[in-house]
Amino acid sequence: MIPQLVFWFFAAMAVLGGLGVILSREPIKSVLSLVIVMLALSVEFLLLSAQFVFAVQVIVYAGAVMVLFLFVVALLGPIKEGPARSLRFQWWLSIPVVAVFFGVIWAELGGIRYHQPAQGDDLNAFGSVQQIAQGLFTTFLFPFELTSVMLLVAAIGAIYLSRRTSDEEREV
Amino acid sequence: MGSIDVAGGQLDAGAFLGLGAILFTLGTIGVLVRRNPIVILISIELMLNAVNLTLITFSRQLQDTQGQLFALMTMTVAAAEAVVGLAILVDIFRVRDVDDIDDLSELRG
Amino acid sequence: MVATLAMLILGLPAAGAAALALFGWRWPRPLTKLVGPGVVWLAFLCVVYLFFGNANEDHTYWTWIRSGSFELPANLLVDHLSTFMGLVITGVGGLIVTYAVGYMSHESDASYARFFCYMDLFVFSMLVLVLAGNFVFLVIGWAMVGLSSYLLIGFYYWRPSAVLAARKAFVMNVIGDIGMILAAFAIFVSYHAMTYGGVFKALPKSDGGTVELIAFLLLVGAVAKSAQLPLHTWLPDAMEGPTPVSALIHAATMVTAGVYLVGRMHPIYDVATYAHDAVAIIGTLTALVAATIALVQTDIKRVLAYSTMSQIGYMFMAVGIGAYSAGFFHLLSHAFFKALLFMAAGNVIHAMDDEQDMRRYGGLWNRMRWTSVCFLVGSLALAGIIPFVGFWSKEAVLGDIFSRGDSLALAVWAIGFLTALLTGFYTGRMWWIAFWGKPAADTPVEHPHEAPAVMLVPVAILAVLSTVGGFIQINAGFHPGWKLVEDYLNPAVGKLGWEPRDLEYLPTAATVLLAAFTFFLAYRWYVSREWKPWSERLPWLQRLLEHKYYADEIYDRVFVRSMDAIAVDADRYVDQPLIDGTVMGVGAAAEAGAEGLSLTQTGYFRSYVLVFVAGAVVAAAVVLYRAVS
Repeated sequence: MIPQLVFWFFAAMAVLGGLGVILSREPIKSVLSLVIVMLALSVEFLLLSAQFVFAVQVIVYAGAVMVLFLFVVALLGPIKEGPARSLRFQWWLSIPVVAVFFGVIWAELGGIRYHQPAQGDDLNAFGSVQQIAQGLFTTFLFPFELTSVMLLVAAIGAIYLSRRTSDEEREV
Repeated sequence: MGSIDVAGGQLDAGAFLGLGAILFTLGTIGVLVRRNPIVILISIELMLNAVNLTLITFSRQLQDTQGQLFALMTMTVAAAEAVVGLAILVDIFRVRDVDDIDDLSELRG
Repeated sequence: MVATLAMLILGLPAAGAAALALFGWRWPRPLTKLVGPGVVWLAFLCVVYLFFGNANEDHTYWTWIRSGSFELPANLLVDHLSTFMGLVITGVGGLIVTYAVGYMSHESDASYARFFCYMDLFVFSMLVLVLAGNFVFLVIGWAMVGLSSYLLIGFYYWRPSAVLAARKAFVMNVIGDIGMILAAFAIFVSYHAMTYGGVFKALPKSDGGTVELIAFLLLVGAVAKSAQLPLHTWLPDAMEGPTPVSALIHAATMVTAGVYLVGRMHPIYDVATYAHDAVAIIGTLTALVAATIALVQTDIKRVLAYSTMSQIGYMFMAVGIGAYSAGFFHLLSHAFFKALLFMAAGNVIHAMDDEQDMRRYGGLWNRMRWTSVCFLVGSLALAGIIPFVGFWSKEAVLGDIFSRGDSLALAVWAIGFLTALLTGFYTGRMWWIAFWGKPAADTPVEHPHEAPAVMLVPVAILAVLSTVGGFIQINAGFHPGWKLVEDYLNPAVGKLGWEPRDLEYLPTAATVLLAAFTFFLAYRWYVSREWKPWSERLPWLQRLLEHKYYADEIYDRVFVRSMDAIAVDADRYVDQPLIDGTVMGVGAAAEAGAEGLSLTQTGYFRSYVLVFVAGAVVAAAVVLYRAVS
């Protein structure tokens, strides 16, 4: 009973947040809507026994990446989207495409044949920090290291891209 | 078969997947239709989140941690991509105010 | 042993040509002087060895083509006939190339090397031609000889006249090449063999039309290469090349390739009687016509060119009648005295500052004694005066023809006799005008100097050969048994088919005396001017002969202009619209396509994403559909 309630509540919150993202006129509202979506999804993760991912989602995704977005929006100032000057037909083309897309997925959802889980249930440890750590540092060590390199590269790239060149005025 | 035992009850995996599908579709619409570059980046993040949800769902359904690890990796990539994308955006904004991404169309042929 | 020597004989000139082509333009001139003639003399030594070793062998080096039941070996035929020709090519060729060391000394180092490269290439090609053991190699050698001739005639390539002459020679040679190739095709189709041995074995005893056809096609090749009627117009123009070239190619060797061909193919011609008669008829007519044209030439090299044409006519007469040994004997003797004449003329031209008009010479006897003596020897040999070699060979030819006795032979003999008289006349004319009397009023050089040793010695050697060389073959009543040429060539070309009458004293004496008489007649006519020149008496005849019976004009009207018209039309109606159109059209289509496709590059982020998503939808649908079904 309770799990159902939790699920539906936060599902609704996520969908509303998503609508907020794409429908808001001001970018700051879009960013905040996305934060709501992320928090809602983190609860869903928790329902799915992904404790570590839940924590990471909240701390890193919602807590760091979104804050970055907020900073940038604050830096760039309010940007108002005027009416479209070119590609006015984009709306009319996109809707059918997306509708077809959604229809395909929805149709598939009905026909999914689920596999049996591989081994016996040890749900207490599933998704725990220990299990994640075990995966990250043994089987997936190489991707793990690569992601750290990738983050380093991204950081360097960001610093380089946003450096001030001599003939630019200081932006306040 | 698609049911998942949760403390106190059972949930259907299909519901999670449906939620993911809806969020992904909303993200796609955002990318296609909105013209503010920041909102486009946000919509991409939304899509990534929906994918994460799908991954975690199947990870739980198949009792395989790999899905969660994959989701972690995705999150990392999303973070890096957001960083670089925003840096580029800031760089462009130094030159001119872009409120409509259709204005950035010099690479035409 | 024979096989190795044959490879050396071919390889040495080829190596010389290659070395000169690659390095000759930058290595020191003395090295060119060594390599150019040197390889030819080395090849000569090899041929001499084969000669004394009595080589007679058909050696296969490897199998070149193997296709189904057909095999083409890469073989060389070293028999008495090819050795005989090899001696002429490398021996007389060696003398001429040595002479050229002096004659061409005014050229720059690079040009000098280029000349000897071409000469070595020619020697190589000619040797391939005579040593070939199958029709494919024969055609290869045939074509390469034509190429070498083109390169050498057009040696002074900055002169438009030389270029045109080279092209003319090459085009007419190609006509001959076509005949040869078609003959090879016909042979292959009929007998499924390409080696000489294989083909000759497969010939029928008496003819259907096939052998006649093959013989006529081969004759086309021979006629073109030997400048006989009607493919003769290139030879006088070929005198644009340097004099050593005229000596080597257009006197001693290349133009004799046709004679060699008929001799080598005598099994075919023994069966194809019509073609065989045609050889004789063509030779006869050419001999007569060329002699008449030589009567009015003023350029000393042109006289010699037409004389060559006429003498080869004699050789054709001989092999056409069936007197092969006599024909080849005349080939040998002609090589001696004609090369001699050309080289001596070269000495004169060299001394007279490149002037070739005889009327501006005069009185050289006093000023260039050695050359004049040699030239006299050559002239007397050409006229057929005893004891020079030309007498013996011409008598061999005419005697063998006369003794065959049938109506065709007698007709041929009669015209040959008449031509001999004309030969005496124009030879005498040439000698008297150029060498006797007083120097001409407009002589270009007051005191012409005698030629240097390197140019005199080869000439002198040939003069000696022209004097004593005749005694190797005497169809004689007074010294029976000295038939060296006939005996040597016997294994290759067979004995005379009829009983040769011993030297017919009456016709022979008549020929010699009348030839000598006409020689001196020319003196009366030209030097002492006792009679009116016939340019006044018969102006129309003078004009006809000067224009070479208008052959060039006729060919131009009939062939050249129509080909030009076809070419112009082909360009306008086929080449430009169709071919150019297609090629340019491909380019234009690519451009249009690219322009069309570039419309998709709108530059708008959102349209790109839309296409992207649409594609992803299609892909997803396909994948899921296949997963489901």
